[in-house]
Amino acid sequence: MTMKLGLYVHIPFCLQKCFYCDFPSFANIADLKEAYTDALCKEILMQGALLPCAVVDTIYIGGGTPTTLSDGLLRKILASLKQAFHFNETMECSIEANPGTVNPQQLESLRAAGVNRISFGVQTFEDNLLVKIGRIHTAQAASQSVLLAQAAGFTNINLDLMYGLPGQTLAMLEKSMQIAMDLGVDHISIYGLIVEEGTVFAAKEKQGQLELPSEELVEQMYDRIMSALPNAGYERYEISNFAKAKCYSRHNLKYWQDQPYLGLGAAAHSYINDRRYANTHDVKAYIAAVNSGKVAAEVEEEMTSTVLMEEFCFLALRTKWGIDCGKFAEKFGRSIFAVYGNVIKNLQEKKLLTVDARSVYLTALGMKYGNQVFAEFLLDT
Amino acid sequence: MQTKNIRNFSIIAHIDHGKSTIADRLIEYTGTLSKRQMEAQVLDTMDLERERGITIKAQTVRLDYQGKDGQMYQLNLIDTPGHVDFTYEVSRSLAACEGALLVVDAAQGVEAQTLANVYMALEHDLEILPVINKIDLPSADPEKVKTEIEDIIGLDTSDAVLASAKAGIGIEAILDQVVAKVPSPAGDRDKPLSALIFDSYFDAYKGVIALIRVMDGSIKPGMRLKMMATHKVFEVTDVGCFRPAPVNVGELSAGEVGFVAGSLKNVKDVRVGDTVTYADNPVAKALPGYRGINPMVYCGLYPVDSSDYDNLKDALDKLQLNDAALLFEPETSMALGFGYRCGFLGLLHMDVVQERLEREYNLKLITTAPSVIYHVYKTNGDLLKIDNPANLPPLTEIDHIEEPFVKATIIVPNDYVGAVMEISQDKRGEFKNMDYLDVNRVLIKYHIPLSEIIYDYFDRLKSSTRGYASLDYELTDYQTSKLVKLDILLNGEPVDALSTIVHVDRATQRGRQLAEKLKAIIPQQMFEIPIQAAIGNKVIARETVRAMRKDVLAKCYGGDITRKRKLLEKQKEGKKRMKSVGNVEIPQEAFMAILKID
Repeated sequence: MTMKLGLYVHIPFCLQKCFYCDFPSFANIADLKEAYTDALCKEILMQGALLPCAVVDTIYIGGGTPTTLSDGLLRKILASLKQAFHFNETMECSIEANPGTVNPQQLESLRAAGVNRISFGVQTFEDNLLVKIGRIHTAQAASQSVLLAQAAGFTNINLDLMYGLPGQTLAMLEKSMQIAMDLGVDHISIYGLIVEEGTVFAAKEKQGQLELPSEELVEQMYDRIMSALPNAGYERYEISNFAKAKCYSRHNLKYWQDQPYLGLGAAAHSYINDRRYANTHDVKAYIAAVNSGKVAAEVEEEMTSTVLMEEFCFLALRTKWGIDCGKFAEKFGRSIFAVYGNVIKNLQEKKLLTVDARSVYLTALGMKYGNQVFAEFLLDT
Repeated sequence: MQTKNIRNFSIIAHIDHGKSTIADRLIEYTGTLSKRQMEAQVLDTMDLERERGITIKAQTVRLDYQGKDGQMYQLNLIDTPGHVDFTYEVSRSLAACEGALLVVDAAQGVEAQTLANVYMALEHDLEILPVINKIDLPSADPEKVKTEIEDIIGLDTSDAVLASAKAGIGIEAILDQVVAKVPSPAGDRDKPLSALIFDSYFDAYKGVIALIRVMDGSIKPGMRLKMMATHKVFEVTDVGCFRPAPVNVGELSAGEVGFVAGSLKNVKDVRVGDTVTYADNPVAKALPGYRGINPMVYCGLYPVDSSDYDNLKDALDKLQLNDAALLFEPETSMALGFGYRCGFLGLLHMDVVQERLEREYNLKLITTAPSVIYHVYKTNGDLLKIDNPANLPPLTEIDHIEEPFVKATIIVPNDYVGAVMEISQDKRGEFKNMDYLDVNRVLIKYHIPLSEIIYDYFDRLKSSTRGYASLDYELTDYQTSKLVKLDILLNGEPVDALSTIVHVDRATQRGRQLAEKLKAIIPQQMFEIPIQAAIGNKVIARETVRAMRKDVLAKCYGGDITRKRKLLEKQKEGKKRMKSVGNVEIPQEAFMAILKID
């Protein structure tokens, strides 16, 4: 029996750590790039051998900044993937890139190697804001990069934007959205800034040196986004993701729709056969483990049926389709209303949830207060 | 034993002045326990103490001592509880004695609580033997303390024992003075039985154990006895004394102290202060001084999780087995659902019970602000005794309200007199008098409403006198005060459990402070929450908890799921500690907010 599988490939290198970033990526280990690529390719081959029945229909090369790797190294990784796994004909293959880290030759080369979707971490088209959040590109470089990608034949392009940034105004946000739309991209992800532990911003906040926009302003930004993008034809198909003409990120949908994915590389996470695994975060430890012939994954948690149900629900609720009641019943052998009847009723009364014949999904209000809904889907144990 | 060779005494001391160390040394010196046994025993007692909490009020121990005259004496040491909540229990313990050691710290001098107990001992005509303890401290000044005792209490201190329980100094002198100076008990073993109950506790095997002092007559196993106040009749199975572990003896007769056990299952049948007599040939009159249990402080206890209601009932039942002073009855609050109104002897008693419920019975509780009992005189002439502000009748039906007042005795170094007066005035206290105990210590008396004491009076006293103030209080009377009910409305709905009764002059200020405090405590929710403080229909303060603008995790991809799930779990856990009132989620601590304002 075949299994459709998504692959996530993690590239933990960056030119500079952004002030808000708490992802496993590092700016000071560039000397490990080759050794890491070698180890990664080994892991790919090992995992491929363990999953002979898998048919890969999405690949997502993320980071860090994958495009900080040389053309040669990226091609090596892509070649290993192709060697190790069966690819589906209509496979989506995405790569993350930072503006200013791409050039025409490299883009051509990626296209030729089968990459058909590219995601740029633009964040904003305001140069002074880019400096404040620790980005090293300029607004112009961002536009330039998109044009280059389009010239290289990429039609499926995503731009990441942010709101709630220090010093950001409503007008700045609107301008950034407008530029993104004018560039003609089909996909926009837009995230509210969260100051995470261990980031430069968190340190600044502790020293009282981080001036964030007021809650009211952030709410206005949120409301503006939720009207501006759909009005321009970008469908909000997940809390922070918008797509034109159904150009959804098929790989990301797997995370929310209970589909299996395999993580490759340091800190990569997998979800296969109802279990979550995580590779070690430590890049050197990862390389050493793979070189000694081990798969670096550890079971992150044993998932009880309760945990599976909870995650099934709060992840599905992030999307516009919500929870597919039929799929829930099929997977857990119980009706969702037998498990969550009271919760659903209660949230419906609060106008946070909508229930129709086949699904349970968030209202617009529910999207705004998603955590309030998600938390209710955690069962008392 | 013949009464002439019996001495019954207790120890009066302020906390930390060394009462238990002296007791330990006496036990050790008389050979009741060897030093090694002592250590083991002391640990046992602490276990018991923890198990029994505050109900182990009076530990009693019988000591055998050969006096200077070569005769053997039976010394019964009756320990007394050291907290103002248990004044009545102290008085019953003292009633079982003929003498008392007054232990005063050689460095600290006389404290307010010591005084209260000394006066009580004097009322009971006890022979008081001053003991100056901790004379080996570098800061000890025994002469000054002696002068203080003579000046304040009027006791002759020329024979005062200079002791250091820690260093074992003066222990023999104490024992010799007890033999020489404490009168032997009066009483006739041939008269019908009358014995005073001064404490009780619950033993899982033997049922309720009553600690008694036999006044007349004698008790042997097999006798049928009766409690005069509760009318409980029981057959005696065990009679004994504490050495310090319970030891059965064949008989307890006039003048002796020990315990009696029988078919007693319920602590409510065994009341401190009650008289035990023969069931078939009772004495005509009970011993004087019996008093029913009078809780002074009430609060509501509600389970955070309403499904814990039965567990709370079970836990209270179990605590009551050992604590006859704990009263509770079911109560319903619009805001908090089903819970119990509980009565306590005082604030310490309340704290202990609350803590035991949470720690030993693993209950998450919401405690409402403590209340005293108000006497509400209605216009139709009825008198209502109200211990829950929510039950106060409408203003129009109230003629006037009386509240309990106490006599508060405060002792402080004279540098802090101003601070004490300021706080006491602020708490509606009426200054009574002030005495210099010595050149730099002052005794101040105030007549002050109990309701003010049970708020933050003692805390404020302590903090503004750098911990030097000592406080004692006793209920004196009920007086009319201009009191009003301060209601709190959240989102326009009154929350009964947040109502308090306050003096009209303080109402506006309290209302404002309470609204501010609640604003800080109540977390942002999806909608704006107006907080109003109101008296009747008049809103006197208003605050607003602003609406939460949005609440959603922006990113959640493959690597985030487990971490994001933890965040959601935390959010849910926080919510569990809150109570939904209408559509507002209120955290537990909001119901105690009134205590946190100053």
